[in-house]
Amino acid sequence: MNQSIVITGSGIVTAIGNDKESVYQSLLQRKSGVALPAILQTNHKDIPVGEVKLTNDEMKSLLSVDDPYINRTTLMGMMAVDQAIAEARLVGTSKDKYRVFLVNGTTVGGMDITETYFSSMLSSEEHMKCMLTHDCGNSTRVLAERYDFIQDYTTVSTACSSAANALMLGANLIKSGQADIVIAGGTESLSKFHLNGFNSLMILDKGQCRPFDDTRAGLNLGEGAGFVILESAELAKKRGADIQAYLTGYGNACDAYHQTASSPDGEGAYLAMSQALSMSGLKSEDIDYINAHGTGTPNNDESESAAIFRVFGDEVPAISSTKSFTGHTTSASGGIEAVICLLALQHNFLPANIGWSNQMTNGITPTLGEENHEVNNVMCNSFGFGGNDSSFILSKCETAQTPMVFADGEIKVVSRVEIEDVAELARIKEYLKPMEVRRMGPLMRSTLLSSLDALKQAGIECPDAIITGTTLGCIDNSEKLLREMTSTDEASTSPTLFMQSTHNTIGSAIAINLGCHGYNTTYTQAEDSLDWCIKDAELLLRSGQAKSVLVGCHDENTEWYGWVQRAIGRDVIPNIHSVAMVLTLIDK
Amino acid sequence: MATAELINEVKEHIIDVLHLEDITPADIENDAPLFGDGLGLDSIDALELIVMLEKQYGIRIANPADGKDVFKSVTSIAEFVASHKA
Repeated sequence: MNQSIVITGSGIVTAIGNDKESVYQSLLQRKSGVALPAILQTNHKDIPVGEVKLTNDEMKSLLSVDDPYINRTTLMGMMAVDQAIAEARLVGTSKDKYRVFLVNGTTVGGMDITETYFSSMLSSEEHMKCMLTHDCGNSTRVLAERYDFIQDYTTVSTACSSAANALMLGANLIKSGQADIVIAGGTESLSKFHLNGFNSLMILDKGQCRPFDDTRAGLNLGEGAGFVILESAELAKKRGADIQAYLTGYGNACDAYHQTASSPDGEGAYLAMSQALSMSGLKSEDIDYINAHGTGTPNNDESESAAIFRVFGDEVPAISSTKSFTGHTTSASGGIEAVICLLALQHNFLPANIGWSNQMTNGITPTLGEENHEVNNVMCNSFGFGGNDSSFILSKCETAQTPMVFADGEIKVVSRVEIEDVAELARIKEYLKPMEVRRMGPLMRSTLLSSLDALKQAGIECPDAIITGTTLGCIDNSEKLLREMTSTDEASTSPTLFMQSTHNTIGSAIAINLGCHGYNTTYTQAEDSLDWCIKDAELLLRSGQAKSVLVGCHDENTEWYGWVQRAIGRDVIPNIHSVAMVLTLIDK
Repeated sequence: MATAELINEVKEHIIDVLHLEDITPADIENDAPLFGDGLGLDSIDALELIVMLEKQYGIRIANPADGKDVFKSVTSIAEFVASHKA
């Protein structure tokens, strides 16, 4: 059995360095990479960000890439994956030797290029070709095609926990025997779109962020990429690859509380950390260091502290948020912080939580950094919008892990609902009150209506897991935000539009509606999104992690985007299309 | 003091920006709480109201916590606007 998952390579690009060694040195020297924007072309010159200190042209030259419309997300991903596959000695591997998969976490995708040309694309087709790589799945496709040994790929978009969930899917693909090697992590470029979006939520600190400090006033956005190479310990030994760490535990749960806020008791975070510990077979006192989600917003740090106290009681391990160095790299954070955790294990040191000086009430006390401190097991937290909370554990040695056993049997579609007519959406009022519906665009309504119908037909109130696919998410909202941002020259954007523009907003809305704390994730691999949802559901059902899974795929179209699709030679998708189904496993 | 005209205008802005489709200005009591037990607005609505004040009246609220007193009721919003106009 391929139960023992190891990391045999890793790569990182961040504001504090473009490889592992320089990131390690910056961490030791307590040197933050957060500064006023120099590369991002924004009017918000007063909002500090953690930029990767390379322009797109510099990266293209380093990578020998010359596509004029390639986005920054993909370029940074290439930089990090190049490093990881070199370390794992995969360069030059032939395609038929191993089944190598790429699982990439991103939400921004090609938004940086889209927003650059958006104004022109409202009236002209001149730059519309750039929209070919707008969606997240395309960033992953272009990244995968750089390496001719990658057989298959997918994209996870659960906002700020995307890369952490990518690692988990990667491990499950290997444990179930579907893949031999998985390149897993995330990449995310800064964009005006999400800088303005976070700004409209009023959670950006105009100075250096101070996670877990009593005076903390919000987060700093960052960018970068972090990837690891996962494989079974058995294969790594056979290949003669160096084992950097064992991925001994992981958990995914949904806070099911609010689209942009964490619950006061941190229920989702508590469940994710508890599941990770339970899988690893470790006791809470075995954890030497926690790399916290620690964004620096008043809400996150309070909620995460509460959840950590619930898991660890009075014996809280050393904790820091390295977002004080890198900024919050959103979808990439789980990958970047996984590599920082690898450095902590390798060099036996505790990364600092810079900027901290005032103890917060009811908050954890972070470490200010320590060298020569033995580190054997580290926990890494990543929490996303909608309460998509994940946590994983990396260890120096193998632990007494709970093995995953995959059962045979037939996957049964208990119920299936499809919506293709906008007129049908009025029926949402059968399930939701007018105050709940008022902010929802067509896709949100269609997602909830089809999902609630499917659950009703299956006779299930709350499924064990919710897995959602979408190519673009609520494009109606994204387009409105782009129009607003462009027409006001970044002076004003609506928080509601931003909140609903992240792809996982629809999957987490189902969880919030049902109060469902189970596994929750979102795939954005274009036309393969639904297949990946079903594949992941099957992994959960066969391993006994879920008895029932709500799976769905949802997309909408707008008049403008329909024009874009015609111009770039893509099929024009319907104005609304939802498929929702409940799956179970029939034991043989 | 806010005029009846300003109070009605604020109500119309609230209905518009918060998509309160089935509600008319007459349905919102001037002094009833907007959040919690009253109209039942939430934290995202508060952020939308901050955007609305800036767009419609050019008033900036830099710290969301400062919005708490302002957004107590329609009357308090209208008085806040009136005091900035004066």
